Amino acid sequence: MKRSIFSKAVFAGTIVFLFLPLAVLVFYSFNESKSGSWGGFSLRWYLKLFTDSPDLWRAFGNSAIIALGSAAVATAIGTLGAIGVNWYRFRLRSYLRTVTFLPMILPEIIIGVSLLVFFSGLGIRLGLFTVFVAHVSFNLPFVFLLVLARLEEFDFSIIEAARDLGATEAQTLARVILPMIMPGIVSGFLTAVTLSLEDFVITFFVTGPGATTLPLYVYSAIRFGISPVINALSVVMILGTVALTWSMRNFLKYIAAK
Amino acid sequence: MKQGPGGLYAAPSILWLSVFFVAPLLIIVAYSFLTQGQRGGVEWKPTLDAYKAIANPTFLTVTVNTIVVALGATLVTILIALPCGYHMARSKRQNLLLLLVIIPFWTNFLIRIYAWIAILGNEGFLNDLLRFLGLTDEPLRFLYNRWAVGLVLVYTYLPYAILPLFSTIDKFDFSLLEAARDLGATKLKAITRVLLPNIRGGVFTAFLFTFIPIFGAYAVPLLVGGTESYMLGNLIADELTKSRNWPLAAAISLVITLVTTVGVMLLLRAGGTATLGSGGAGTKEPEEGAALPAQSVASAEGEPA
Amino acid sequence: MIGSDVVIEHVGKSFGAFRALDDVSIGIGKGEFFSLLGPSGCGKTTLLRIIAGFEQPESGAVLLDGVNVLPEPPNTRRVNTVFQNYALFPHLSVFENVAFSLRLAKAPDATVRDRVGHYLRLVELEAHADKKPAQLSGGQKQRVAIARALINEPSVLLLDEPLSALDAKLRQHMLIELDAIHDKIGITFIYVTHDQQEALSVSDRIAVMNGGQVLQVGTPQEIYEAPATDFVAKFIGETNLYEGTIRSVSGQMAELDTAEFGTVYVTDDDPPPAGTRVSWTVRPEKIRIDLERPSSVRGGLNLLSGLVDEPIYSGFQTKFYVRTDQGATLKVIKQHADWSDEGPRIRWKDSVWLSYSAEDAFLVEVKR
Repeated sequence: MKRSIFSKAVFAGTIVFLFLPLAVLVFYSFNESKSGSWGGFSLRWYLKLFTDSPDLWRAFGNSAIIALGSAAVATAIGTLGAIGVNWYRFRLRSYLRTVTFLPMILPEIIIGVSLLVFFSGLGIRLGLFTVFVAHVSFNLPFVFLLVLARLEEFDFSIIEAARDLGATEAQTLARVILPMIMPGIVSGFLTAVTLSLEDFVITFFVTGPGATTLPLYVYSAIRFGISPVINALSVVMILGTVALTWSMRNFLKYIAAK
Repeated sequence: MKQGPGGLYAAPSILWLSVFFVAPLLIIVAYSFLTQGQRGGVEWKPTLDAYKAIANPTFLTVTVNTIVVALGATLVTILIALPCGYHMARSKRQNLLLLLVIIPFWTNFLIRIYAWIAILGNEGFLNDLLRFLGLTDEPLRFLYNRWAVGLVLVYTYLPYAILPLFSTIDKFDFSLLEAARDLGATKLKAITRVLLPNIRGGVFTAFLFTFIPIFGAYAVPLLVGGTESYMLGNLIADELTKSRNWPLAAAISLVITLVTTVGVMLLLRAGGTATLGSGGAGTKEPEEGAALPAQSVASAEGEPA
Repeated sequence: MIGSDVVIEHVGKSFGAFRALDDVSIGIGKGEFFSLLGPSGCGKTTLLRIIAGFEQPESGAVLLDGVNVLPEPPNTRRVNTVFQNYALFPHLSVFENVAFSLRLAKAPDATVRDRVGHYLRLVELEAHADKKPAQLSGGQKQRVAIARALINEPSVLLLDEPLSALDAKLRQHMLIELDAIHDKIGITFIYVTHDQQEALSVSDRIAVMNGGQVLQVGTPQEIYEAPATDFVAKFIGETNLYEGTIRSVSGQMAELDTAEFGTVYVTDDDPPPAGTRVSWTVRPEKIRIDLERPSSVRGGLNLLSGLVDEPIYSGFQTKFYVRTDQGATLKVIKQHADWSDEGPRIRWKDSVWLSYSAEDAFLVEVKR
């Protein structure tokens, strides 16, 4: 059957639509002038970004800590949960399945608001800690589902084979299950890092003094006067994400091949 | 499934999610029935005030606006995503096209919104261009209205619709279309009578993954919308931080939750038999899409380009 | 290696309302190649998993060399399993899969190399030691699974439908190899299968199971030639199975009244008295089929005439469905011999003569 010209045109238009904002950002990031109109090529915003933006880098540091920390905790907890749910019957099993499904059908704002109300109800001061807890909470179900998807490829008889060959429960976990699902665990962790770096809405509600993450910093920059530094930051972040994703995917391939 | 140490493995997950996910949601339910506190918070006197407040016209206007924007943006998104998914599924360079769709979303959500402000703003790219071409003298006001909100929402959630549609259409057996043509269907008829019914599951998934976040949108209307394009998400935040009416914020949150869950359940039931198989309460489809917001990594694992 | 004898005593197991094993007792000798044969859901796999330690029965005992092993977990029993889907560890090489239990026991490297090398040679996989399971064919995976199960030198090897994932030709080949391995190492093999051909061709003895019960235990010949129940007769090979009432008995021969074929002569070691309702069987290959009436008709020969309803030619033999003059159908299998054999010349709608000796027709069950 012939390829449809209509769908091809729509697709091409969509790609232009998707890339247009990025192109505009790149364009403005090299703009000498501070206002919208073109004032000549310049690298001054990049210079300012790297040499004279302490708040931005503090926010970046917070984002990195929160992302790596919450992803690590969510991965540890979520992986174990997925192992339990995939192979065993226990009380609260269907409860866990439902709860891990909830973030998929609840808008982020609901999660953010409920956590805010929860924290203030308990009198917990908003700050890095609350942001960390919130990020673990919304990352956990994603890790859980990604690891579960990997686990579903394996039959329980693999576990029985390990037991049959003399392995204890702990040895089975360490020598068979974890190495076997390592690609799923790594992709769960990286997904969690990405989600955490990306999150704005939930963080917005549970953050407090001293816990500004990068998205929050961008937000206040948009609200309280745009500096073209944001353009430069966007370009750096795009390049950074591309580079990061590229190396992550090679890393994953490497793990899968090993 | 076996008897075994499953509960032990799952205990940390159950504990964490119960305390930091389920309990907060239950507190929201409880707060919606309590009295507004002096400066935020609540007083432990049960009342239906919050639900009475919901019935006021402002709230209804915002609700209607939210529904209109969410349905409209979702519809447009899916109408664009369908031919895109079709084109990608039929292409020989699927991985490249996938990458093209995903790359823009490696950019931070807020930066994407910001980019649109840079395009549509009074001093933005588009007005610059129009002025440069001599088409206008005064900057045109593109931002801070319902259309800007719709545009940015469509932009933000387009891949959420394209990816599930692509993966469903990709699994479709295209010889069925040839069979339909052979039996006398026109090209359009073949698509509406054979292709669409078979990719129903993907359309449902795309709808859910677009409609739900748009219905609860907060940042987009806040940053590119005006007063007339206020959505429920903004109302919650206002009640929470400005009016300090927590019971009302809780009640609105409940309404949103209710609408989305009921919507999901209706859709699952409608599309259920065809799309969900034996996977249980709608687990299969969303799992597939679960990796969506983190497209980068999830797809990096599965799709060597 | 020395095999153990395995005694299963009154083992019972239920899954909810489903009775998987109902008071099962079997004795298996040292070094025997013993098969558990039956349709899916008959309880054979459950019994195997109980011996391995993956399931606990509600009642009964499993004795290995006289010692009840039920209290022991699977990782300490001197019993290893070859799993139906191989259950190879996907992240480990062939070598490390086989070495798995030695590594757990922290065996020195030299020992590991020796022992793994030995067993890889046994299953002829030395050349593939560094490959991952995903790079192996089905038959190779199967052999890795066998080597991995043997390396602990178990006294009993349990095989759970080990050939079911292989295609027919490979299955034949692996069956011969399994038999060779069994002969070489001499431990007890307990082999679960639903395929009667497999069971008949390799087993020393077979237990036929259905509905959680053991219907018959015996050598392949006993089970084929003297099925204890209607189910065994129908499940093993092809057969003609009908009912009748005993009219008279003389010695080991009985004369039956049947609705389908009139008078039928059958034999039995100890026929029940006249008037008993029984089922009887005759294997299709024991029936002669001729275009002419056989010239000599001695006593105790069952002779029938009929029309060929359906000849199914498969090269070395032809299977005929023959409708007898009385209106019943008999299955007949004719092996083809040399050029003078008239079998291939018998065609659809030919009228034929069927004859079988009373010695080839058996009583199976007494009906009430």
